[in-house]
Amino acid sequence: MVGSAAGAEVTSDDAALVGRLRSGDEDAFDEVVAGMYPAMIAVARGYVRTRSVAEEVVQEAWLGVLRGLERFEGRSTLRVWVLQIVANIARKRAVGESRSLPFSSFALETDEPAVEPERFRGPDDPYPGGWRSFPSNWQTQPEAQLLARETLDVVDRAIDELPETQRIVITLRDVTGCLPAEVSEALGISEGNQRVLLHRARARVRATLERHFDD
Amino acid sequence: MTDSTRVEHGYSCKEVVELATEYLEGAMSSEQMTRFELHLNLCDGCFGFLEQVRTTAAMAGALSEEQLPGEMKTTLLAAFREWKRE
Repeated sequence: MVGSAAGAEVTSDDAALVGRLRSGDEDAFDEVVAGMYPAMIAVARGYVRTRSVAEEVVQEAWLGVLRGLERFEGRSTLRVWVLQIVANIARKRAVGESRSLPFSSFALETDEPAVEPERFRGPDDPYPGGWRSFPSNWQTQPEAQLLARETLDVVDRAIDELPETQRIVITLRDVTGCLPAEVSEALGISEGNQRVLLHRARARVRATLERHFDD
Repeated sequence: MTDSTRVEHGYSCKEVVELATEYLEGAMSSEQMTRFELHLNLCDGCFGFLEQVRTTAAMAGALSEEQLPGEMKTTLLAAFREWKRE
């Protein structure tokens, strides 16, 4: 995927790619449009109501990218810059739809334990905060079962049901393979908050998988 | 729990599960990491939990990514050609 190996620092690959785009190289454009699509649609879908509006946002973002390409200075990676444009356009659409913006009302003060507190021993126990019973060992699940269509569907649905901010972060990080710094820069959140959201998202998906395997 | 008992006993399982992502992301101080790994070496429950989190992330990575719709590809390529002419 385009840019997936790049850090948040601009690489020479990035500069070469921008050079090819500026010179009108259609293969480079095709490659970058397809490669960045999953991350772009993930960002857009966090802000707007429907898939079709999210697709419009992505399309509009590319027109914005083309308009700004001559002025792109490489202060961030191409991918971060593109995702920031997506987020800006999506924010405007969300305001138009009178939706609250996912990362503006973004607060982490609500406590959301990764594992239900009842799974741990109480304060009067000789092992306070220890597991009452251990989580099952997934290493014994045959790999074929872990990657079976049915199991992946469980993961897919669990991600779909996450709160928006968690869904965007886990999709960008784990599904499309963006780097932590790329995600926090593109969404305008701190790396620490990005990590909290990733943690909560993975914890919820893990809990869903645990129920699926234990049934 | 006071700080001295923390140093002596390290993290509880309940604390370890909340630190799993910090650990996997390499965002811990070396002192935290030592304590975390010490717990992990002694606790099958937390070791198993961490493996589950790793597996969860890997499974998310195995999901098929959204594909660029063909129609959008055509529209964007046309826009690119027009941009090139300008």
